[in-house]
Amino acid sequence: MTPLLRRSGLRHLARHPWQAGLSVLGVALGVAVVVAIDLANASAQRAFTLSTEAVVGRTTHQATGGPGGLPEETYRRLVLAAGIDEAAPVVEDWVTVEAATKAAGKAASDSPRVLHLLGVDPFAEAPFRPYLGPGAAGTDVSALLTRPGAAVLAAGTARELGLVPGGSFTILAAGQRRRVELVGVLEPDDETAGRALADLLVVDVATAQELLGRVGRLNRIDLRLPDGAAGAELLARARRALPPGATVAPAGARAARTEEMTRAFRVNLTALSLLALICGVFLIYNAMTFSVVQRRTLLGTLRALGVTRGEVFALVLGEALAVGLAGSLLGLAAGVLLGRGLVGLVAQTINDLYFVLAVRELAVPPAVLVKGALLGTAATLLAALAPAHEATSAPPRAVLIRSSLESAARRALPRAAALGLALLALGALLLAVPGTLLVSFAGLFGLFLGAALLTPGATVLLMRLLRPAAGALFGLLGRMAAGGVVAALSRTGVAVAALVVAVSVAVGVGTMIDSFRGTVRRWLDASLGADLYVVAAGRPGAPLDPALAARAAALPGVSRVDAIRQAEVPSERGPLRVLAVDLDPRGRRSFELRQGRPAAAWRAVAAGRGVLISEPLASRWDLGVGSRLRVSSPAGERVLAVAGVFYDYASEQGAALMALPHYRRLWGDPFLSGFSLYLAPGADEEAVERALRRAAGPDRALAINPNRELRRRSLEVFDRTFRITAVLRLLAGLVAFIGVLSALMALQLERARELAVLRAHGLTRGQLWRLVTAQTGLLGLAAGLLSLPLGLALAAAMVHVVNRRSFGWTVRLDLAPEVFFQPLALALGAALLAGLYPAWRMARTPPAEALREE
Amino acid sequence: MARRATLLLALLLLAAGAAWLLLREPERPPVAARLSVATVLETSPEAGFARALAPRGFAFPADHGPHPGFRTEWWYFTGNLEAAGGRRFGYQLTFFRNALAPGAVARASRWGAREAWLAHFALTDVEGRRFHAFERFRRGALGLAGAEAAPFRVWLDRWEASGAPFPLTLRAAAGEVALDLRLARGKPPVLQGEDGLSRKGAAPGQASYYYSLTRMPTTGRLRLAGEDLPVRGLSWMDREWSTSSLSPGQVGWDWFALQLADGRELMLYRMRLEDGIDPASAGSLVAADGGKRHLARGDFAVAALTRWRSPAGGSYPARWRVRVPSAGLDLEIRPLVADQEHRGVFRYWEGAVAARGTSGGAPIAGRGYVELTGYTDTAKEIR
Repeated sequence: MTPLLRRSGLRHLARHPWQAGLSVLGVALGVAVVVAIDLANASAQRAFTLSTEAVVGRTTHQATGGPGGLPEETYRRLVLAAGIDEAAPVVEDWVTVEAATKAAGKAASDSPRVLHLLGVDPFAEAPFRPYLGPGAAGTDVSALLTRPGAAVLAAGTARELGLVPGGSFTILAAGQRRRVELVGVLEPDDETAGRALADLLVVDVATAQELLGRVGRLNRIDLRLPDGAAGAELLARARRALPPGATVAPAGARAARTEEMTRAFRVNLTALSLLALICGVFLIYNAMTFSVVQRRTLLGTLRALGVTRGEVFALVLGEALAVGLAGSLLGLAAGVLLGRGLVGLVAQTINDLYFVLAVRELAVPPAVLVKGALLGTAATLLAALAPAHEATSAPPRAVLIRSSLESAARRALPRAAALGLALLALGALLLAVPGTLLVSFAGLFGLFLGAALLTPGATVLLMRLLRPAAGALFGLLGRMAAGGVVAALSRTGVAVAALVVAVSVAVGVGTMIDSFRGTVRRWLDASLGADLYVVAAGRPGAPLDPALAARAAALPGVSRVDAIRQAEVPSERGPLRVLAVDLDPRGRRSFELRQGRPAAAWRAVAAGRGVLISEPLASRWDLGVGSRLRVSSPAGERVLAVAGVFYDYASEQGAALMALPHYRRLWGDPFLSGFSLYLAPGADEEAVERALRRAAGPDRALAINPNRELRRRSLEVFDRTFRITAVLRLLAGLVAFIGVLSALMALQLERARELAVLRAHGLTRGQLWRLVTAQTGLLGLAAGLLSLPLGLALAAAMVHVVNRRSFGWTVRLDLAPEVFFQPLALALGAALLAGLYPAWRMARTPPAEALREE
Repeated sequence: MARRATLLLALLLLAAGAAWLLLREPERPPVAARLSVATVLETSPEAGFARALAPRGFAFPADHGPHPGFRTEWWYFTGNLEAAGGRRFGYQLTFFRNALAPGAVARASRWGAREAWLAHFALTDVEGRRFHAFERFRRGALGLAGAEAAPFRVWLDRWEASGAPFPLTLRAAAGEVALDLRLARGKPPVLQGEDGLSRKGAAPGQASYYYSLTRMPTTGRLRLAGEDLPVRGLSWMDREWSTSSLSPGQVGWDWFALQLADGRELMLYRMRLEDGIDPASAGSLVAADGGKRHLARGDFAVAALTRWRSPAGGSYPARWRVRVPSAGLDLEIRPLVADQEHRGVFRYWEGAVAARGTSGGAPIAGRGYVELTGYTDTAKEIR
């Protein structure tokens, strides 16, 4: 490109700052959303990696058992009989610091500080977690070993909790209040170490067993095995030393599995963020097309003067590149800011749905930024390809004719429509055939693109239909407005398409969330039948003494008690969540079967012959009634027969339900995870709760939730989970709004001359206002009408396909009546709002000045 | 035209690459911040433990076993071995018991421990000029490490010395080294110092109970890098228990244990002060018939002839002239391999040596072990 041409391009951008600005803003917003989501995901992953690294250290393999962990005898056998030199016992759990010991001045509303209680043997630690092993001077290990309840924290965490060595504090560990004495602090060597250690409460393995009530048991044994034949030999020896039901697996496997758990969640977020970028791409396309059209005279002249097609092509692309780069850079900055807000939401969701994860800060991996910048720039260039082609494909003389573009656009209508239909069909096909989540999203994007390509044609049809009505309502001006929409189809078509995409995303995602929420609420209503729900305070799922359930059953006013134990057991397909229930036949009503005959299924469960599996598990592992699942237990390998599939929205990983005696027989784990109380008619809920707390004793920390409270909390978690989705929906809408604004401005400004002629012929300011408003209203109306079917299709696809493939849940599509008005209202509102400024500007410009332009 | 676009793209990529390089996170260092078990062996206070104040009666085999009332105790096996063809080796297998706190407290967990155990295993390959040293820690719990009197057994993981008590079996393996030895009775126990009360300083209680098995004929097998070698030679065991540690002025000690070709053994220790040698330094000369003569500070002279510089910093004396004028002994002692330094949590030099010199004017040779502590300032020593 010659410097002259480049200057010409840049000058054009500089002389139309609003146009360039809006384009940049559109790219920036799209990139910002993509980058922010990426960063939030990356931060959560990084926090996960760091905390895993601190705990896993240089472990190569881990020996684990069933829900009860491993007997400590296994450790002795590994070291003494199998001769595994590098083996470290671990007893761990999440514990909560009781609020009273928090530093003064902290708000009481702070969520409780959760710490990872890590019980290790300092003598065995050296090869595993260097911060715990022998080495340079450090904490007084004698005290840690010999004083019951002794613990160390990272120095920063101790400060945060207002603790000094020698001080003590109370934790909730496995449902019990326990006193812990801080005998020292770990001074991390650097910030990374500090972050990794920030959540660790390190104690001796003996202390951990005592605090967690797990004397005699280990959670796992970390091993360090060499590579090669020597390692394989040691691994084989280790396997032989393990009791039945225990396994040795590479250390990475556990972390990888945990990460896999959140994959569907992350993919969904990323796909949503890409929608925002797609809206941004529409905007670019629109702006670049406009800038080409605006300069048709100049470009035609240039071509006539001998500037080659390639040079003009490069000129247009160069401008797009400038816009794309500027927008992307701006988007990166905005994305980092936005990411700070989103990371909390992502972390909250992970905590609600998957596992405890403390995300302290936004990690900004450069790869994410580079990816965001490349994505933004590439999308911009892609969007500019068509206008650039347009500017160069026509013969120089034709480029000079203003109407050639519009006629080209109209000529292209059938082709666009055909392509759109093909894309719609392809999208529907991708959604219909079984496939991975990515295929589903590809199908979804197919729907979007198809709908967008169909939009101009549909708009023309709609305008033809609406023209008489508009004429009847607004007279000549109304007909002119409708005609104008068609006449400037290359502009209006894109604007309507952008609006259609945005509004249908808003409607579709909204409908999906509402349907989901409705389904979950109905499920909660059906499954929460008891009056009071009791679990250990602190970490959910912490073991409870079964004697407590027996004591609760004997309390006056309690008519019956249902007990449940949740645990993870090893199976041939990976870890399996088990719900072991001790149900009164009346309690079975809480479980609605999707597959299997209830009477037979429950008989099989009660007899210990079969299990019920939840819907997500059935979908994740492709199981159904009659399937068999091999699990390992201390009693040996066992086959669980699937007797039924039940609806369950409590866990996206899915679970298998079995009778409590059956579970205990296999895994010998006597504990409960919780129990529910049914009260006798007329019994006082609060009186029963008080009596239960008395029966439990002062050291046991119970969380007792009345039915309505549990229901409220469950829905609260649900709403929190979708908060980030709502934010994304809003952002996509914002990008589309900017798109419409920019399209309408382009449209009106382009028509400045035409409107000025009308003004010169006697059109009043008010009439001009009405003309412009009617036109934008028509655009909005068209977008609203078109986005209703697309929005509903999107909702249906998300509910029935994406959700099922991501999580395996059956969700009933609930169509609220307002769904049918919402898109119209949204689109009309957005279009009219976006039309305000261009209308005001047009009306204000003196006709003479407009006529003089260019 | 197209060239420009290509150039632009290249520049863009270059910029992205540069940004990548600039913004790339530094290699993450391993998580560090230490909880050191070395402190375990240093910090537990003396109060509450028994002290070595006066001579006591020794009873065997009971005294081969542990003495839990005292804070520290060790079983120290060293020896010089020879394989077929004259290949020479030195070995060391030691077990340290260190009480973390006096008395016993009932803990619900079986992991609750009052004792820390440390074991060192080393092999000196004289021909290969290699020193293989290994260090291991354990708590005295769950049968992972401990000591018993009858039948005699002291162990840490799978390293152990056991017997009833003779023949003693020593077993240890680590890395590419494994040892499996049978130690015969040899001479009866030698009670060092004053009937087994060995003074290490002037203050009362600054002493240990100390006996030695100075000459145990040894046979067995040695595995080194896949080679399995039958070996034979002589072993020495030192047993000490006490509660005191080095007094403020003491910086370390030199310990010599020599088995002379004429059937006698010489043991000497020098407690080094910041400015000289503590008068409490002493030794013993064991006759071929097992009779022991105490050597006081004035009965022997040790002069270092050269020094050896450790690759980890600091230097040790490396060759000595040792004289016991009253016995007519004049020996030059030479390390079989220069670098026999343990560089684990505790740094010290413990190595096989050869002695050559005269006894009453007649030539004499011997083999043995030397231990040197307190020569580096990076870690305190244990013994």
